Amino acid sequence: MKRRDFIKSAFALSAFGTQIPVMALGRKNRAGRRVQWETDRIVILIKLNGGNDGLNTVIPIQDNIYYNNRPTLAIPQNQALTIDDENAFHPSLSAFQALYQSGNMSLIHGIGYPQGNLSHFRSSDIWVTGSDANEYLQTGWIGRLLEQEYPDFPSNAPDHPLAIQFNSANLLEFKTSESNTGMMVFDPETMYYIINGQYVAGQNDPAPDTYGGEELDFVREVDLLSFEYAEVINETAGHGSNSVEYPNSNLGYQLALTAQMISGGLETPIYRIYQHGYDTHADQENYHAQLLMDLNNSILAFMEDLANQGLMDKVMIVTTSEFGRRYFENGSFGTDHGTSAPCMVFGNNVVPEMFGEQPSLTNLDQFENLHIQYDFRQLYSSIITDWFGLDQSIATTVFNQGFETIPFVQTPLSVKNPPLPAKFKMHSAYPNPFNPTTTLSYTLPSNESVTIRLLNLRGRVLKTHRLGVQKAGKHLFKLDGRSLSSGTYIAQMEAAGSILHQKITLLK
Amino acid sequence: MSGLPLSRREFLKGGQASRPDLDRLNPNWPTKRAAKRIRTYLEKKPPIYHPPKVDEIPPILPVTHSTQSLRNIDWNMGAAKHLLCRTMFGPKYPEIKAASENPVQIAVSSLFNTIDMPEPPGEWVNEPAPQWDALTEDEIDALIEQYNEWMWDLGYWWMKNMMRNSVNIWEMITLFWHNFFATAQSKVFFPQAMYQQNNVFRQYGLGNFKELLRQVTFGPAMMIWLDIHASKHEEPNENFARELLELFTMGVDNYTQDDIVEASRAFTGYVTNGVDTNYNFEEGTGFGWWWNEWHDFGPKTFLGQTGNFNGDDIIDIIMEQDATAVHICTRLYKWFVYENVDETVVNEMADVLRNNDYNISNALYFLFNSEHFYDENFRGADIQNPVTLMQGLIRKCGMEDFDFSLQYFIHSQEFLGMLPLEPPDVSGWPGYRSWINSITLPVRKLQASSVISGDSPWGQFDIGADVRELAQSMYDPDEEGYASEQIVKKLGFLFFGNPLSENLEGRMLSVLLDGAEPYDWSINAPENDPQWNRMRDLMIYIMRVPEFQLA
Repeated sequence: MKRRDFIKSAFALSAFGTQIPVMALGRKNRAGRRVQWETDRIVILIKLNGGNDGLNTVIPIQDNIYYNNRPTLAIPQNQALTIDDENAFHPSLSAFQALYQSGNMSLIHGIGYPQGNLSHFRSSDIWVTGSDANEYLQTGWIGRLLEQEYPDFPSNAPDHPLAIQFNSANLLEFKTSESNTGMMVFDPETMYYIINGQYVAGQNDPAPDTYGGEELDFVREVDLLSFEYAEVINETAGHGSNSVEYPNSNLGYQLALTAQMISGGLETPIYRIYQHGYDTHADQENYHAQLLMDLNNSILAFMEDLANQGLMDKVMIVTTSEFGRRYFENGSFGTDHGTSAPCMVFGNNVVPEMFGEQPSLTNLDQFENLHIQYDFRQLYSSIITDWFGLDQSIATTVFNQGFETIPFVQTPLSVKNPPLPAKFKMHSAYPNPFNPTTTLSYTLPSNESVTIRLLNLRGRVLKTHRLGVQKAGKHLFKLDGRSLSSGTYIAQMEAAGSILHQKITLLK
Repeated sequence: MSGLPLSRREFLKGGQASRPDLDRLNPNWPTKRAAKRIRTYLEKKPPIYHPPKVDEIPPILPVTHSTQSLRNIDWNMGAAKHLLCRTMFGPKYPEIKAASENPVQIAVSSLFNTIDMPEPPGEWVNEPAPQWDALTEDEIDALIEQYNEWMWDLGYWWMKNMMRNSVNIWEMITLFWHNFFATAQSKVFFPQAMYQQNNVFRQYGLGNFKELLRQVTFGPAMMIWLDIHASKHEEPNENFARELLELFTMGVDNYTQDDIVEASRAFTGYVTNGVDTNYNFEEGTGFGWWWNEWHDFGPKTFLGQTGNFNGDDIIDIIMEQDATAVHICTRLYKWFVYENVDETVVNEMADVLRNNDYNISNALYFLFNSEHFYDENFRGADIQNPVTLMQGLIRKCGMEDFDFSLQYFIHSQEFLGMLPLEPPDVSGWPGYRSWINSITLPVRKLQASSVISGDSPWGQFDIGADVRELAQSMYDPDEEGYASEQIVKKLGFLFFGNPLSENLEGRMLSVLLDGAEPYDWSINAPENDPQWNRMRDLMIYIMRVPEFQLA
């Protein structure tokens, strides 16, 4: 039985009824389809819109190049909030520092994609479609993810929205080849009142087979779904509550309402929330500090609220942004569009570590931009497989290629534990080429003693790492190339009586 | 549950997330002190709502690529409605009928007839820029209030022009260029500058594109909007150069980052006080102290050519590029035809544009005379933008000379996501399907039906359309069938882009008759006859069905 079929039959009889008068709409009654996958986990994606300045969010406190190139904007070491020897948070992010220390946050450096595009419009599209830099997709990554579970959406839609996006969202992220899986939300009560009052029911003739007909179908679809979902959103938001005060900001409002809907039992697994204003070309200092302060306070309130209500275990919060900014400030006391930036992940089930490291400010691309350390699709793949416990093949279908996950989920759900390989297996290093570190990954068939060596092309051993006995399953090893010069090397792994090799290239 | 009227605050409290209007202000202009006051002023106001972006395009359907002139046989009421709905605001039934009775060439060419420029919204359009340093803070605040008032006078003036347009393309092309060179008042600040730019669209909008581009580029509004006036020799600002290439002329992928940097060096030394600039249109050069001090007179290499270029030289080089005409025609096509661009047709339009010295009206004339434009596929394929929807509806209902409150338009257009003078960013309104989502669709219905019911989310008003007059303006005693049936058909024709389906026609008729027989409804019933209430119900019904959103 296919997974999808299993879900259909498993929930077919659980009459999860809402009060939607579906019969009156001339539409087949649905057998109470639920939204969730095998898990009730929820992800809250927050877009820092405009391109967040990563270097002033997680500050490279040891990097003189950073300080020399940002005479007015650099955050002095003594004001930054220490994370470790090399990293510190912006002074606005005191809650993040505490959350990181208490094990409720992980930090991923250098997220972006190869050949970063510096146009807001284009780069945002790349992020929401999950495409390569030179690939133009018409569907969103979330749309393609949900489409695999609900291929006939919206004709056989579940009772709760599949995804909720707050106003000012980019609908493309939720677009499938056939429809749009996202539901736009603002004030639920007003929304319900207006939508309900303006809806006209009645049998529709099929739309003509023209572009005019295509657009009519589109408007009809929005019309019907908004009518249906307005009620369930209004209901859950009405049942739910907030246990803390939120900042009086739009981000605070969005998160408060999200918490209210989750608390009221809305099953929607994906929320997309927006915080605008990060395009800090001019007079960045105060604006950026205010934005981060709002982000810090809003996320803290949200986590406290859900924790008070016993709901925090099933929620993870992830920040994204279309790009980072240049490492040097411009003539207007701001920073211009750049490439990669750190992403922040919050929750009770995250690995409280830093993945990747402060980007090098000497080794830059041809446009003086930072190199990336992780592809943003690795971040999204980790959400799909580790957080939602969906099969790797689903993520591969979404992105049309496989991406190594980033192990920031503390308790990855593995619905189907991938069968252990019969033999010791080595996966592709990422990134490769790299500078200065890359991550080697491998899977052990049983508990084995592992040794990793770095050789030059003539076979001379340059470094040896004896890792001792490790458990069966997948492991990661971070290889540091800082003491090496540019060139191609061989990573050699020895375990379970076999030796495997892989070429890796260091580009300084 | 809350009842009517809904306050704007209620609507907006979850609506708008950002303050890009604040983020993009220049803190040093017109002076540091004034900039601070302007910012404080804007901060106190709720942010402008902009609908989210959406980028979806339906699958390609078979469409005729023929750009031959339309054969007379295809020219009928439906085609005439299609032409007028795309080129003007709210064509009325008799106007459509009149157009259909002329040959297509005449109907098209009369759209391009020159019309008088509208009277300016007020004396203030000639108000010189203030001497900021001579003003106290209170005086600055008062001036900001005054400018804001004038700015919305301008917005109202413009929307009135739209709904009072004649059977002519000038108003529509003005809005098209505002979307193309999208400039927002909240950053420009000077209503004089916005008015001046609006006038440029009216004066040059159907003529030579290069002249239009020059007039827009070196006008005070664009200089402020994209920071041309803050760009100097040592620190060129890339903002304008990037958008010039990406959005105004060549389109992405036709130039490099180096070209942007070099072009931005050429656009240095042009400054404005908000009303006047240091640019001489006749000689094509900047002048005066700022020009001498700030302009980069050194050699630049742009798109493979090297020279001591200034802004005009860059525009000259851009206009030599084939991509420019293609980009302009793509934008025209998307506005006047459909989101799914037919490359064959656009390339032919671009040829026409190039061969006619970049005269915009030639390209449009060519398009509106082509069989392609009238392909059945495009009927009803236009998701109407909120301005065309509302201003057009008011005109169709014969209410264009009514006095609406300024608030009525400003609030409704803001909420529906298309407040003229305040596009979300320089790429203009994303348009197309982004106009419709689960928030805007119900409000579009509610707002539209306010012209009949008098209930709008922005409060009630005591005027309504004269439905009797509307019915009588459409009625033809020589046509077969009962008046009720004829009116239903004609309302469906006038208000829907797609052909009226039998089913919907039946539902509409039953709303109009409300249990009575078709012959009970009389076109000559007196004004106070309750049957006109049924027609008001029908009008509201029309505005609530999805078909109403499309033209």
